[in-house]
Amino acid sequence: MSYQFNQLLSGLLLLCVCFNTANATPEFKIEIKDNLFFPAELTVPANTKVKLRIFNLDSTPEEFESYELNREKVIVGNSQTVIFIGPLLPGSYPYFGEFNPKTAQGIIYAK
Amino acid sequence: MLLSSVVIILREVLEGALLLSVFLALSWHQGYQFRWSLTALFAGVIGAVFYAAEFESISTWFDYVGQEVVNASLHFLIVLFLTMFSLFYTAYKGRYDRAKIIFMTIAVALTIVREGSEILLYLSGFVGRDEALSSVILGGIIGAGIGLSLGGLLYYSLIDFIPSYTRKVAYGLLALFSAAMLSDTVTMLTQADWLPAQHYLWDSSSWLAEESLLGHLLYALLGYEATPTALQLAAYITGLFLVLVLPRLFSKGVAFNGHK
Repeated sequence: MSYQFNQLLSGLLLLCVCFNTANATPEFKIEIKDNLFFPAELTVPANTKVKLRIFNLDSTPEEFESYELNREKVIVGNSQTVIFIGPLLPGSYPYFGEFNPKTAQGIIYAK
Repeated sequence: MLLSSVVIILREVLEGALLLSVFLALSWHQGYQFRWSLTALFAGVIGAVFYAAEFESISTWFDYVGQEVVNASLHFLIVLFLTMFSLFYTAYKGRYDRAKIIFMTIAVALTIVREGSEILLYLSGFVGRDEALSSVILGGIIGAGIGLSLGGLLYYSLIDFIPSYTRKVAYGLLALFSAAMLSDTVTMLTQADWLPAQHYLWDSSSWLAEESLLGHLLYALLGYEATPTALQLAAYITGLFLVLVLPRLFSKGVAFNGHK
């Protein structure tokens, strides 16, 4: 069988793997209350895409921001949102609420 | 509160102010009147108010990634109009000035929509909290003042210190701006899971942190990113290509057809 066919086959296989992982994206929940993140420390699996579902229970907007995760997103008051992060190398990734940076701080550990 | 509002507003104002300065420097070089910038400012502010007002429902679109999709679309459109401007600017010297001015106006207006809406959302959180609101507004005025001053500084540096290079330097900055915008588009679509997630290619944060003052400035000016992915890098290079290379090819095509 030709080399190209093998390549095609392995490509397709890889694609299947990708779709499978897409279906099984692990989801984690973070809440914002009184300008604080709960839980402030969260451990997620390393080297895989992760879905964060963030609930803002305050009436004021907040911006989830992280230089390390390369993410920023405004979450209006009393609403929820979704942010995809990763794949992350093992390590710690601090984030903060840009609209209340003194209080709203959190950290994500990838293990 | 005061300091964080200075930083937030400054960050939002800076990108728009820098783009405006670059276009104003090019306008000066071309001898255009600056009236278009007022149109852009006005249209941008109106657009930002509408976007901020609809933000809550937009956020829920596409299973809660509407924000990323709309922002990515705005950035994509900005790059499109920057490219159109570059094409006309390079290929049609002394012609189609009206089209060039319209492209500049739209690009600046869209940038203001994007950044202005975030400022409005930020400020909306303080409405009704009077003491906090006044310090936030004061911080906002200081932040906006610094951002506009930096824009002014760039404008006068471009036209006064290096008049013979105004065109080249301003045009180069435009290319970097386009690259940064397109790379941001990729980041947002990745955040929304519309583009595949990737590991980053390198980490230069120990060398220059994004959260440092210089990091912020370079982010606004060149789209500096300490941990870029391959897709981001590809988008960055494409953004440079669209402003630096494509117009030259297009210009050659125009000249060739003109000789026929």
